[in-house]
Amino acid sequence: MPSLSLGRLLTWERVDPTARRPRGAGTSTFWIFSIGSATLLFMGWLLPWFVRPTSSGIGFSPMDVVSSAPTGIGTFLVYLLGIGLLVMVLSPFAELFYRARKRAVPARIDQVRVLIAVFGLVCTVVVFLLTRVIQEEQLFGPIDTFTITDSAVWLTMVGYILAATAYGLRGWVIRRPTTAFAAIALPVGILLPLMFHQAPVFILWAAGSLGIYTLLALGLNVVVGFAGLLDLGYAAFFAIGAYTCGSLASPKHSIHLPLWVLIFLGAAVASMFGAVLGAPTLRLRGDYLAIVTLGFGEIIPDLATNNVGKLTGGPDGISSIDQPIVHLPFATINFGINKEWYYWSVLLVVIIVIVLLRNLEHSRVGRAWVALREDEVAAAATGINTTSTKLLAFAIGASVSGLAGAFYGSIVTIVSPDDFSFSVSVSILSIIVLGGIGNITGVIVGSFVLTFVIFWMLQYLNEWSATLGQTINVPSLGNIDYSQYTYMIYGVALILMMLLRPGGLIPSRARQIELTSGGEEESLAAVQGIA
Amino acid sequence: MALIEVESLVKRFGGLMAVNDVSFVIDAREIVSMIGPNGAGKTTAFNCVTGLYPITSGAVRFDGHSITGQPPHRITRLGIARTFQNIRLFSFMTALDNVMVGAHWWMSARVWDSVVKSPRARADEKRVEARARDLLEQLGLTRYAGSYARELPYGLQRRLEIARALATQPRVLLLDEPAAGLNPQEKKELMALISRLRDEGLTIFLIEHDMRVVMEISDRIVVLDHGVKITEGKPAEVRSNPQVIEAYLGQGAAERMVDA
Repeated sequence: MPSLSLGRLLTWERVDPTARRPRGAGTSTFWIFSIGSATLLFMGWLLPWFVRPTSSGIGFSPMDVVSSAPTGIGTFLVYLLGIGLLVMVLSPFAELFYRARKRAVPARIDQVRVLIAVFGLVCTVVVFLLTRVIQEEQLFGPIDTFTITDSAVWLTMVGYILAATAYGLRGWVIRRPTTAFAAIALPVGILLPLMFHQAPVFILWAAGSLGIYTLLALGLNVVVGFAGLLDLGYAAFFAIGAYTCGSLASPKHSIHLPLWVLIFLGAAVASMFGAVLGAPTLRLRGDYLAIVTLGFGEIIPDLATNNVGKLTGGPDGISSIDQPIVHLPFATINFGINKEWYYWSVLLVVIIVIVLLRNLEHSRVGRAWVALREDEVAAAATGINTTSTKLLAFAIGASVSGLAGAFYGSIVTIVSPDDFSFSVSVSILSIIVLGGIGNITGVIVGSFVLTFVIFWMLQYLNEWSATLGQTINVPSLGNIDYSQYTYMIYGVALILMMLLRPGGLIPSRARQIELTSGGEEESLAAVQGIA
Repeated sequence: MALIEVESLVKRFGGLMAVNDVSFVIDAREIVSMIGPNGAGKTTAFNCVTGLYPITSGAVRFDGHSITGQPPHRITRLGIARTFQNIRLFSFMTALDNVMVGAHWWMSARVWDSVVKSPRARADEKRVEARARDLLEQLGLTRYAGSYARELPYGLQRRLEIARALATQPRVLLLDEPAAGLNPQEKKELMALISRLRDEGLTIFLIEHDMRVVMEISDRIVVLDHGVKITEGKPAEVRSNPQVIEAYLGQGAAERMVDA
């Protein structure tokens, strides 16, 4: 008897494992779309009252929402949008209600949702255009001058577009999840700096946390997801990339190479180290491999701390790393000031990496990796050179990480050993477990969710909770230090994940079936009796 | 002409002599079976020939060249393909992909081609996919091309494993109990397949427990017991050999059968 719970809500359209062609990925994308749209709409609806560029980002005062009278047409529209949003968010529960009673879901639900989505879209466009022609005071009534309104409108708009796509083009989303995902994510990704031009910290987060961690997770996904080699020391390659950038573009050694050279150098150096780490682990599998990589992950930051060869600057690391300044005929772009250019560069690199990794995944190399993951002995007996195939996975995974490291060094301008601790490796691994091991779309969604929680929400949770405390007269809410709960959040998220969706948010097709039964693992070396 | 020569092969696991001084020769385009009671060392001998086990002493030669101590993938590339007693398919790859993995080693696209999906990689992929579909069709698996290997019925999994082995372009096919778990109809099809493969120029070396299959298709039979080769010869000779009967049925039975 299906009950009305979040678990059911997330999983009721789960694949039938006996089906010839599971539709799981498509339905997951559909759910990501509808849940994402609800989140964005919610954020957008409240944003006029809680994003203030003067504070370090976000301040939340729900009382403002209640007390501000609907004086302008804008506020009126925003309330309408809010009601539409509520109906949208609650509609899946209505569907559940029908399903639980084994009755057909009336087609009207979908029609209503499409109607709301289209209406909302029109409303937001109107509000957006109005912000261009009339004063925000007239539009929203008496709100203080520091309030950002057009980011809110943007967010609402994106939310409604997502919702309209999810419900209006449901068939398409489920049939072509990747295309649908790219069609939405790409324009939104490119336009993000314009949406948040009044909140540069958000763009910095998008470049320095979301972008970098997406790259890292994509790289680790090659090693863990495709080739099935558990790597717990992946942050080491990140460190190598970052230190390569730091050493060759800073006053430290008086070398100043451009970032565009350094990202390739970082990738090359890291992939070399990837092969070096790979070599001794070739005979290991599973737990043993994980332990060795764990060791490697500890050694690299330690070497940096000990200032080996006076190269790394010891515990203080390397500071004042160059930030690119590009001279164009019509303008000069200083990346240090206009951070959105970092964002666009990282986005471009992420897109290129995704395309290349997808190519690899569907090539002879990708097949060899999967074969290796599935059955190393059979792979060897089928003519696959297990040694070089594993090393290739390590090297390619590490090179992506080195690329991310070089960017990271340039964005934050200072690298020190603390930035590459074990917790970084854990974060990256959590991202791919959360998102869906072996599935590139899942990894991207996972990195979005996790970096948002860890590097954005937790940063400002203190502030939000303090303003909330003031508003509802519980000042002690401002004294909670949420940052110390990072690992608790990982833990809870992972436990919930394993219980509700063991394959991740968007599981790969293979994982979905694998979960219904265990796989066998045996290393070639163990069969040969030499491990 | 001798294609595979196994000379004084010894494989020891600690104190256990799994294979003890076994020698035999397999000629090109021959079907040779290896039989023996459970634990006789048949699969161990297979693993030694295909490089999965390093051998303790002795020598294995393929087409006149020593392959002793070579890694398994190189031996496969030389032209010795195999299947496994307990089917070892890549469970979460489609049947088509399983066969295409067999073609991995002779595909011409380099890593860089694969990364940028160059015209060469595309052409290569297309060619190999056509070849793989061809193999699937020959083995009657066409309609399962898109299914995961583990979704296939048992008998078809055995066939898929043979298809994967054939995709490596072997000269010798080693089959480890190919008839195990098959029904009589499937066994008949298997025997037809083996004969057809031989007619197409392949050499077949198989381990099998089903005596009807062994006696019907083998040109020669090698008999192992307790790691030692007790005899070798044509099916009719082996069938009436008292040592073979003794190994299978015990000493008393052997004496009675010889008396009778």
